[in-house]
Amino acid sequence: MKIMGKATKFAAVTAIAALALTGCGRQDAGAAADADGASGFDEGATIGVALPQKTSENWVLAENLFNKDLKDKGFKPDVQFANSGVAEQQNQINAMISKGAKVIIVGAIDGAQLGNQLKAAKEAGATIIAYDRLLLNTQDVDYYVAYDNFKVGQLQGQALLDGLKEKKGKAPYNIELLAGSPDDANAQVFFDGAMDVLKPAIKDKTVKVASGQQKFEQAVTQGWKAENAQKRMDTLLTGTYTGSKSLDGVLSPNDTLARAALTSVKAAGKDVPVVTGQDSEVESVKSIMKGVQYSTINKDTRALVEHSVTMVQDLQEGKDVEVNDPDSYDNGTKVVPAYLLKPQIVTQENVKEAYVNDPVLGPLTK
Amino acid sequence: MNAIKQLFGGNTRQFGMIFALVALVVFFQIMTDGVTLTSGNLMNLLNGNAYILILAIGMVLVIIAGHIDLSVGSIAAFVGVTVALAIRDWGLPAWAGILLGLALGVVIGAWQGFWVAYVGIPAFIVTLAGMMLFRGLNQFVGKSNTIPVPEDFQYIGAGYLREVGPNTGYNNLTLLLGLATVALVVIMSLRGRAKALRLGALVPPLWVQLTKLTLISAAILYATYLFATGRPGTSLPIPGIILIGLVIIYGFISSRTVFGRHIYAVGGNRHAAELSGVRSKKVNFLVMMNMAVLAGLAGMIFVARSTASGPSDGNMWELDAIAAVFIGGAAVTGGVGTVVGSIIGGLVMAVLNNGLQLLGVGADATQIIKGLVLLAAVAFDVYNKSQGKPSITGLLTRGLSSRNRPADEGIPSTPDKIPTSV
Amino acid sequence: MHTPSAGQHAPNLLEMRSITKEFPGVKALDTVNLNVRVGEIHAICGENGAGKSTLMKVLSGVYPHGTYTGDIHYQGKVQTFRTINASEEAGIVIIHQELALIPELSIMENIFLGNEPTRFGMIDWSTARRLSLDLLARVGLNDDPDTPIKEIGVGKQQLVEIAKALNKSVKLLILDEPTAALNESDSQHLLDLIRGLKGRGITSIIISHKLNEIEQVADSITIIRDGRTIESLDVQADGVNEDRIIKGMVGRTLESRFPEHAAELGETFFEVSHWNVGHPQVQDRMVCKDSSFFVRRGEIVGFAGLMGAGRTELARSVFGRSYGRYQSGTITMNGRHLELRTVAQAIRAGLGYVTEDRKTLGLNLLDDIQETTVSANLGKISKHQVVDRDREFEVAEYYRKALRIKTPSVQEGVAKLSGGNQQKVVLAKWMFTEPDLLILDEPTRGIDVGAKFEIYGIIQQLARAGKGVIVISSELPELLGLSDRIYTIFEGAITGVMDREDATPEHLMRLMTSARQPA
Repeated sequence: MKIMGKATKFAAVTAIAALALTGCGRQDAGAAADADGASGFDEGATIGVALPQKTSENWVLAENLFNKDLKDKGFKPDVQFANSGVAEQQNQINAMISKGAKVIIVGAIDGAQLGNQLKAAKEAGATIIAYDRLLLNTQDVDYYVAYDNFKVGQLQGQALLDGLKEKKGKAPYNIELLAGSPDDANAQVFFDGAMDVLKPAIKDKTVKVASGQQKFEQAVTQGWKAENAQKRMDTLLTGTYTGSKSLDGVLSPNDTLARAALTSVKAAGKDVPVVTGQDSEVESVKSIMKGVQYSTINKDTRALVEHSVTMVQDLQEGKDVEVNDPDSYDNGTKVVPAYLLKPQIVTQENVKEAYVNDPVLGPLTK
Repeated sequence: MNAIKQLFGGNTRQFGMIFALVALVVFFQIMTDGVTLTSGNLMNLLNGNAYILILAIGMVLVIIAGHIDLSVGSIAAFVGVTVALAIRDWGLPAWAGILLGLALGVVIGAWQGFWVAYVGIPAFIVTLAGMMLFRGLNQFVGKSNTIPVPEDFQYIGAGYLREVGPNTGYNNLTLLLGLATVALVVIMSLRGRAKALRLGALVPPLWVQLTKLTLISAAILYATYLFATGRPGTSLPIPGIILIGLVIIYGFISSRTVFGRHIYAVGGNRHAAELSGVRSKKVNFLVMMNMAVLAGLAGMIFVARSTASGPSDGNMWELDAIAAVFIGGAAVTGGVGTVVGSIIGGLVMAVLNNGLQLLGVGADATQIIKGLVLLAAVAFDVYNKSQGKPSITGLLTRGLSSRNRPADEGIPSTPDKIPTSV
Repeated sequence: MHTPSAGQHAPNLLEMRSITKEFPGVKALDTVNLNVRVGEIHAICGENGAGKSTLMKVLSGVYPHGTYTGDIHYQGKVQTFRTINASEEAGIVIIHQELALIPELSIMENIFLGNEPTRFGMIDWSTARRLSLDLLARVGLNDDPDTPIKEIGVGKQQLVEIAKALNKSVKLLILDEPTAALNESDSQHLLDLIRGLKGRGITSIIISHKLNEIEQVADSITIIRDGRTIESLDVQADGVNEDRIIKGMVGRTLESRFPEHAAELGETFFEVSHWNVGHPQVQDRMVCKDSSFFVRRGEIVGFAGLMGAGRTELARSVFGRSYGRYQSGTITMNGRHLELRTVAQAIRAGLGYVTEDRKTLGLNLLDDIQETTVSANLGKISKHQVVDRDREFEVAEYYRKALRIKTPSVQEGVAKLSGGNQQKVVLAKWMFTEPDLLILDEPTRGIDVGAKFEIYGIIQQLARAGKGVIVISSELPELLGLSDRIYTIFEGAITGVMDREDATPEHLMRLMTSARQPA
């Protein structure tokens, strides 16, 4: 066996030498180096868009808009949903790299679990844009485009207070808090923004979280799932709101959870509370028109997608990419230059103006 | 040492799946204009599926023994989060974290094995309980947060063979490994042939064996070439090496060792096995325990690949692993299945997934296609069994298997070593 | 013994003419003819694999019309059954060896399964009950119709099957090995019942290996060998006896069914004393009561007892306590006291046990011959826990030749072998463990005559080589022909022992059916 081993080694070395001489080894990967350079890329390049699970209308809308807008500008869009989780999203980003995508727009399921794929993408020369959700703990993200989420939270908190005053008579008011999924970095930001407004009111006893559950960890909704929020609300209602005790308001981070909360309250036979929301989902807009859900946030997905596509176009032409907040988003490893869009609060009062240009929601408000 | 031979000389069903796999690869290679067989994509395939394939190795043994394990995803998640926390909060070095994870797998496996083997509760129920139990523990321990792991730990999930030696334009270690494998396969195959001839068993014609060898060697060399010529800094991925190592070890254990035989015996007919002196409780215990250890390993590899442990890790993995095993020819009733078959079954699903993603087919359509493929693969098998004939590919490959023939002639009429009482 | 025959000249109820059935590569039936007269009991004899079951499957529509050639004339008309339902419609009911009853359902529910009497779409249980009481009376069963099937013995289950057939207004009843799993008295009861049905005009076809039973009940016999009709005999007119049937089945006369065997008995080397074992589930119930026995070198010891007497329980509790709860008793082997707590220990000590039921306890039907052959002694062909596949092949080949196992190769799956060849593989597996004492539980059940003869030869060879052999059997002629000494067992206790010279069937039967006699 010893002789065999030597022979193998010899054969191996010879073979390596032979292969090296023929020069069919790997190419110098210099091309990858100009990823950050301002030289741009081909007009018809592939643009990858990795979106999370298809859990809300917004994401479906985003898919359609990305496909259409990118195609209109001459790019080859590759838009993918990762319905079965982080592992699938990792594989999809890898597939986009294999297809030679020049820009990869990532709406992450879990912003901290894509580090290696992003690194590979960077090395392959792609530019990474974090879409809606920030990518965490990685060097390999170039831009962040999103609505100002802290602002969203603040608007939600303010809307809740305004609504209570408007609809529920005199203070004090009983409220409950819902937060988003703990694996989504934005969830904490929304919550903090809202609490920024609510804390003083809690302090001066205008509002009271009757269940006492006012920490983010207590309020989370795993996976942004309506069923989870509904279950928690059911429990709170049976546990805390016994007898004639009324629930006056619910802070909800988005429309899906807002409707879940309303369903739960309705089942419990309580009066409709003031419920906030976000995302301008069709059902919620209808609900606001009817005076059930109090507010939502208009973060026009069109504007967000539009700006993302503008960024892609700037990158293609080798122009500077426009950002408006270069230094407040630290992802744990670096500060990511961000372009933030302004959210708008929508209640029954301004619902008509807010969606006047929206082809889907506009007709609903007539 | 015949493990390599076993790898390629398995049953007819296995050959069927190999052909299906090759056909899929060719199909996607054409459809994607050659993107499928590129260095980067091959690495993605291996990296993105290694943990499922590792689960499939453990799962096939569980299924051969006549059980099922629904808890592997939750165990993987629980081990992953515990190791990530231990490294972050206690400052454990990466290697100690890995050992901790494996030890945790042993403990969890012993827990489940105890209930299955010694108390006699069906594995379906024990592991259904485990699925909830360990998912809950994962969320309890990790507080549903994402917990990053350090760079050196990431090596087992995202690392590559290092660059050593002169700049040849290739990754030298990958190249050496590939060439050594080819040499080993050729030597084993020829020695096996010589031995069969000496024993007097019939062997396939020389040209058949040489063709087979050439094909296998070409495949290995091509894969080696692709892995050795990826982007600088990449080569044969570490999860891939771990996987290949496990396949060889477990393939060997299942087909060639006394313990492996006992797994098949217990799954095929537990009573007959017990009356032949097999300690079925011990076999069941070890099989369940082994599964949990591999689940722990898979969980750690995934966390390493993801650079962090997250609350949704491991969701639905058990079903992917089980699907791979059944596509790979195992029977629900136990006693049937092979490690290599399951890996091939898993690769069929992986290539399908990857190819459809490259084509930009949506996640919903991908799921539908995968479901149909699972059903078709098993239906094909059932149909052939009901017709009492081997699968079509089995017929094609009949001549390739050296031992499937009457061996009436040439056997020494009195083997001197066999003591007997007749 | 014969009830008056339905008459030499009764018309034929069934004529199967030139039936040929081919499977890929095999001609299972080759121009087979079968004529069954109205009101007779017709036996079909043949070795395993001769084509008896195939013929019955053709008749009952399991193999639909068109998949075979030849004609079936039944009640004067050509029949083209395509399903079992079609043949049942015509009054042909087949009762298979493996009973088709559902253990959890009651006797009544089983009788009416798929044929429930209904009123306004609901099952009419009161009618069902009335009908089932009537049917049970006709088969001589007086159990409550609500008793679950699993709670009655296999003999009574067989009667339930017949009651089920009667409910379908059966005209031609086919029984495939009806007494294979029954003890002597249940068998007798069943045979009486079949004769009774004949009196009521129901024609029967019986397939059986128990030639004495055939001789006893059959009016005529058709013998099939290698897929061809060999001869049709009228029992009375042709003066048929067992030897005559065997000659037709095997194509030769067996001079003696038990090869001559001169025992050379050595010293006592294996002894079990005061063996007490409790039932595995039922507290306080004993399956072995103070049993003591011994075996000498070179001796074949018979264990006679009716089904359920505790023979298997005794054997398995000795074999590494693989049955029941051990309570007390000792095993001495070669002068040394042994504690055999596990099967593995028993095998290591030199014991082997060939199970009564090959398919559920003896074989892994997924294995091939070579894997089975070495499965009880893997250690011997392994080094560092790694199995040497070449040695495995050599060993299996050796036994294939030595025991004349009929198979194209040792890689053939054991499931494909005939019963006799399967049993030989099981014997090979235990011979390879080199036991000093081999216990054989019903070693020839479901095995055809030719293979039986070979297995007797193997057993005697083992004894000649100085091994001790215990044979447990329900067939007294087998025990009387084979054993040097016979123990009788009744209700878990050993009730007597006698040398072969002193044993008669009557004497044995008395000891098998009554408590211990004073010595």
